Amino acid sequence: MSESEEFETLRMRLSRRMFLGRGCGLPLGATALAGLLARSRASLADRGPAGSPLAPLLPHFPATARRVIFLTQSGGPSQLELFDEKPGLETWAGQELPDSVRQGQRLTTMTASQKQLIMPSRTKFERCGQSGATIGEWLPHMKRVADDLCFIKSMYTDQINHGPAMTQFLTGNQIPGRPTAGSWVSYGLGSENRDLPDYLVLISKMQRPSDQPLYDHYWGSGFLPSRYQGVKLRNAREPVLYLRDPEGLSRELRRGMLDGLAELNDLRYEESGDPEILTRVRQYEMAFRMQTSVPELIDLRDETEATFELYGPDSRRPGSYAANCILARRLAERGVRFIQLFHPDWDHHSRLTSWCTARCRDTDQATSALITDLKRRGLLDDTLVIWGGEFGRGVAGQGNWDSPEAGRDHHPRCYTIWMAGGGIRPGMTYGATDDFSYNVAEGAMHVRDLHATVLHLLGIDHERLSYRLQGLDFRLTGVEPAQVVSQILS
Amino acid sequence: MNFSDQRKGLTVQQIQTLERWIAEGAVWGRHWAFEPVTRPQLPPDAPHPVDAFVVSRLKAEGLTLSPPAPRHTLARRTSFDITGLPPTFEEITRFEQDDSPDAWEQWVDRLLASEHFGERMAMWWLDAARYADTDGYQRDDTRTNWPWRDWVIGAFNRNLPFDQFTIEQFAGDLLEGATDEQRLATSFHRNHMTNGEGGRDPEESRIEYVIDRVNTVGTVWLGLTLGCCQCHSHKFDPIAQRDYYSLTAFFNSIDEDGSAGRSAKPYLAYTSPHVAPARREAESLVAARKTRVDAAMKNGNRRFETWLFIRTELTKEPFQPWHLVVGARLEATEGTVLTQEVDGTVVASGPNPRQDDYRVVAPVTLDRVTGIRLEVFPHESHTKGAYSRGAEGHFLLTDVKAQVRRKGDTQVRDLVIASAVADHSDDPAKHEGYGNIVHVLDDDPRNGWSTRDETEVKRHVAVFALATPLKLAADEELVFELRQRSTLGDANLARFRVSVTNQRGPAVLTVGEMPLERLWKLPAEGVEAIPDDLREQLREQYFADDAPVVAARESLARAKRQLDEVVAAEKVEVMVLAERAEPRETHLLVRGQWDKKGDKVTCDVPPAVAPWPADLPRSRLGLARWLVSRDNPLAARVFVNHVWQILFGSGLVRTPEDFGLQGERPTHPELLDWLAADFMENGWNIKRLIRQIVTSQTYQQSSRATAELLARDPQNRLLARGARYRLPSWMLRDSALRSAGLLVTTVGGPPVRPWQPDGVWEENFMGRFHYEPSDGPAQYRRSLYAFWRRAIAPTFLFDTAQRRVCEVRLSRTNTPLQALTLLNDVNYLNASYAIAVRAVRTSREPADRVREIFRTVLGRVPAEREVRVLLRESEKARQQFEQSPDETRAFLRGVSWNLEDGAPDLVVRLETDIERADLASAVLTASLILNLDEAISHE
Repeated sequence: MSESEEFETLRMRLSRRMFLGRGCGLPLGATALAGLLARSRASLADRGPAGSPLAPLLPHFPATARRVIFLTQSGGPSQLELFDEKPGLETWAGQELPDSVRQGQRLTTMTASQKQLIMPSRTKFERCGQSGATIGEWLPHMKRVADDLCFIKSMYTDQINHGPAMTQFLTGNQIPGRPTAGSWVSYGLGSENRDLPDYLVLISKMQRPSDQPLYDHYWGSGFLPSRYQGVKLRNAREPVLYLRDPEGLSRELRRGMLDGLAELNDLRYEESGDPEILTRVRQYEMAFRMQTSVPELIDLRDETEATFELYGPDSRRPGSYAANCILARRLAERGVRFIQLFHPDWDHHSRLTSWCTARCRDTDQATSALITDLKRRGLLDDTLVIWGGEFGRGVAGQGNWDSPEAGRDHHPRCYTIWMAGGGIRPGMTYGATDDFSYNVAEGAMHVRDLHATVLHLLGIDHERLSYRLQGLDFRLTGVEPAQVVSQILS
Repeated sequence: MNFSDQRKGLTVQQIQTLERWIAEGAVWGRHWAFEPVTRPQLPPDAPHPVDAFVVSRLKAEGLTLSPPAPRHTLARRTSFDITGLPPTFEEITRFEQDDSPDAWEQWVDRLLASEHFGERMAMWWLDAARYADTDGYQRDDTRTNWPWRDWVIGAFNRNLPFDQFTIEQFAGDLLEGATDEQRLATSFHRNHMTNGEGGRDPEESRIEYVIDRVNTVGTVWLGLTLGCCQCHSHKFDPIAQRDYYSLTAFFNSIDEDGSAGRSAKPYLAYTSPHVAPARREAESLVAARKTRVDAAMKNGNRRFETWLFIRTELTKEPFQPWHLVVGARLEATEGTVLTQEVDGTVVASGPNPRQDDYRVVAPVTLDRVTGIRLEVFPHESHTKGAYSRGAEGHFLLTDVKAQVRRKGDTQVRDLVIASAVADHSDDPAKHEGYGNIVHVLDDDPRNGWSTRDETEVKRHVAVFALATPLKLAADEELVFELRQRSTLGDANLARFRVSVTNQRGPAVLTVGEMPLERLWKLPAEGVEAIPDDLREQLREQYFADDAPVVAARESLARAKRQLDEVVAAEKVEVMVLAERAEPRETHLLVRGQWDKKGDKVTCDVPPAVAPWPADLPRSRLGLARWLVSRDNPLAARVFVNHVWQILFGSGLVRTPEDFGLQGERPTHPELLDWLAADFMENGWNIKRLIRQIVTSQTYQQSSRATAELLARDPQNRLLARGARYRLPSWMLRDSALRSAGLLVTTVGGPPVRPWQPDGVWEENFMGRFHYEPSDGPAQYRRSLYAFWRRAIAPTFLFDTAQRRVCEVRLSRTNTPLQALTLLNDVNYLNASYAIAVRAVRTSREPADRVREIFRTVLGRVPAEREVRVLLRESEKARQQFEQSPDETRAFLRGVSWNLEDGAPDLVVRLETDIERADLASAVLTASLILNLDEAISHE
């Protein structure tokens, strides 16, 4: 396709979104548009169809991270067992949580009628590395990379149930229908790889039916065009839905068919003048390339034995969290912009010592290995890694606090996440909770602050990345003030 | 000061606009959409009202309408717009040859009279109504509100006026002498998601539902973004937060309690007239499958008798039920030392950690592995002479896993264990959830197998059946993992033994003797000596391995499940509206928070929209009447705009969800008002409105876009050409099936499940839901009837409304994933196959076949240069298929999935590789044509 046609296609797309003020959130005058188009034209040759319509405007300032690996732990991991050490709680064991601490916090109806009796942490903690980060004994491998991580102990959210809280954690709003952070980033920055989608999602294959489904709006593009939605890489014969040609159809035949298709579509373009046809031809070509690039991506046979040793025995099992961590690194190597893993079933309402440890075993070694691996390959510098779930867990025991049966209920007021790489200050702990890990004591970081900070690392001003819909300029961080937490930037 | 640096500052252009406005007298009126609808004057000689407004606007711009589209294009355009289906080549030809002066009107009327019209309109309405077959949220339980969907189809087909359509859906239950059908209509306002999550406060959920209803009313009838007012007064439109909550009062006294699943009252017990055909179809499928099973069994029995004869009379080889796994590599994660004795027993010594995972890794010489047996032994050296070295001596096995690892390969593959049985299982209720053997398969350390209730200390046995027989290659090893990760711990096995078998069926479903074992031990010899019960066991064992019997039985089981579902659908509970005896008080909610009650409010409507007529009851009925009163400026405008969007791809107001100040102004305000006024004054007659629009020249223009026109008006706001855009994905599937002659045109009935790739539901729900595609003709129903799970929309659809909240704006993107769907989804491959079979049957010459396929899909004769391209590719394909007969067979098998039952007349038995290559290349040609931009576009 000639450059002029390509330019024309882009112009059409741009004009549809921007000319009339829909989509970009920046009021553009005719002069600005002309300048923008001129610039887009110059950058078209190397961007192609994977480019973002905003590419010419972004980044707003130099980025420290070029991509994100988001290790989403669904269900609400317990900060009290994993990271947020509260040795003083031993003396409070079995006593009722003081009202001065609880401050009328809402509970789920699962424990609302129960006395809030304090259950001290079920684990022992160790101070790790130079930084002395506190990590619980259920995560032995994570202790080794403690100095590469930045712990945020003062995360909080507004939601107390899984669906709304995870939706808020990922999209900034509890109600489904908004784009996820990944979609915003894909929309804003586009891809560095012409053969793979910008935003890929990997879900751990679990044998146990989990109580928290992973809705497809967790990687949906909301009101953004659907090309910005996350593409789920499945652990199945067909890693991307419909990627496999029918059995018995050779690549050569598929190629021939697409050539014929393109030729006839070109004829149609001549007759109808509809530039959308040219875009379609290009999308079929991208589909064809994905049929090669995706299987190559997921074929781990070219990984060394040492890699599997590093990521642990579970990494040999395709579909496991550990295997997905290897894939995440491969995606990062290939320049995919936003890589999101989901590991479900962190919802320990009972039997912390077997349930929570089960999920720790699934994830501990591989997560640690991913950090090590990225660092060795020089990828950690410009890859932002985020680990965290939709909320934390409460200090009160659920069930009889003193029995092995006990678990913990959801807790939105404070929890721990960590980040690493991509311009995050390594070896630090930000924020703190009170003596009960119940309220934030310092450095409160709301979900929208996290979003603002993540966008900032990617070179995006969260107030300037917006999309106009139903009369409003929507942003990932919403309308309430959001802060970039500069203390954690390196 | 440099103003351009101020992000929120005015642009030069905006300043100029303000200056112009001031210069023009700064007229400050009401927003256009809130002005009453008055009928603008038409010029006296106007040939057609629509054209009058469009042409006068074009004239002002120095433009004219494009020439009319060819009849062929028009035939397809209207057929898609009105019925969502393409016309056949024969229908188009007849229309093209019809030179009667009212040929066009007749064509349109025929389409409007088709029952597919109601289906097409219903698909639009279902998106707006956020209709789905499940609740949404965490539990996502199935609901049975589909009779409402059939009500919608029926309402459109009998041309129920839109005002009445509105009234019945808002307040069918409040009408005098309300019929069941009218009550059913109110299910519209129950299509919101319902939340059954454990920790949820039901009252919070109930309030969410009330709010969802008001937001839906706002979007669908008023074109207003009322949702903004949940937390504060609207920033742009004249709607106060108080107005918003006054609207919620209309919906606040429904007899509901915020529950979900099967307790989401109020319900209407309903018997659908649309179940009978589905039942007949399901019954005949079961009958056909029974015949197939009988035939397979009959043949199978002959094979069985021969096998049994050989087994008992001829070979008499000794039978060994279980084969010990010896020479194994033994691993323990937490440090237990494992050693194997000569008899295969594995003994634990050394450290005794609280929890441990044992792995037995061994090559297997057996021809195949169908089951694994675990024996657990007591020993005097164990605590209390029992099974472990833990404090109590009992064991707790939380999970087992079976895997295969190839030597030198970095990855393993998991084996699926289908069942687990043991000689004894504890009652989990007595042991904190531990006890039952089946729980070792669920990967959950909070349960597992134990035998504490058994007072006698003795050997225990568990048998695990593999889902599919495993054949190990010479360099492959079996990995059997025993996980002991219980909450309490300290109960690791100290002595156990693993063996494997190659027997299937009953042999691995009990811990007792295998049928062949019994046979071997039989005292008397000869076939005659076999007791009947053993003979039956042996037969079952044999059939478990007999592929034709297995396949026939599975297909019968699927058909029976389908029939059960249909039978269950005969009487269903539909969620509807009904008022509770004691109305609830309604409050303004501070910042939209459900538990922060502000001032009390009562039923009322936003005064800025239209006044409340004094004679209306303050009820849902009154609210509906207010919405569709002649004085309401919004409902008719919004509806007419939707219809325009259905026919032109975009509305006259390009923001169909927002007619407020932040929405776009209409491209043709007078036209919109004229249509809205005319619509209201002619009884809200929907078919009349559509007829009126499609008989205009504006609608009938060619969609060809010249470079000048594209540059001048890229979005076609001036309507100087017809609309060209990609059809919605549901229409693509329906039209492929229609072209292929596969579409089953039955209207209504319980939902069906079109093909989608395996495992999609399982992945999102970690295995909780399983999707089984419908069997037989049910596979080929229109997409409208596809089961809609809110958490995962049907995979063959794209750019579709999500059906979580009301959506009326169309999304139209162009992605590689869509290309992959159209290329590889079985729905489309099935259609390609059916099209190819017909073409191969009717035409012998390759060029004729290509023409035939082209005509079938696109309804026109291809140009010669089009034929050349297609012929070139199909000839290349034919040659290659001929050279690779095995692949060709596999290809044809895959693309003809389900057709044997779904469309038996299309099943062809091909004898030669040449014939198969011929058909396969025709399939590929059909697939190519189905993927053409022309095939998937509204032109």
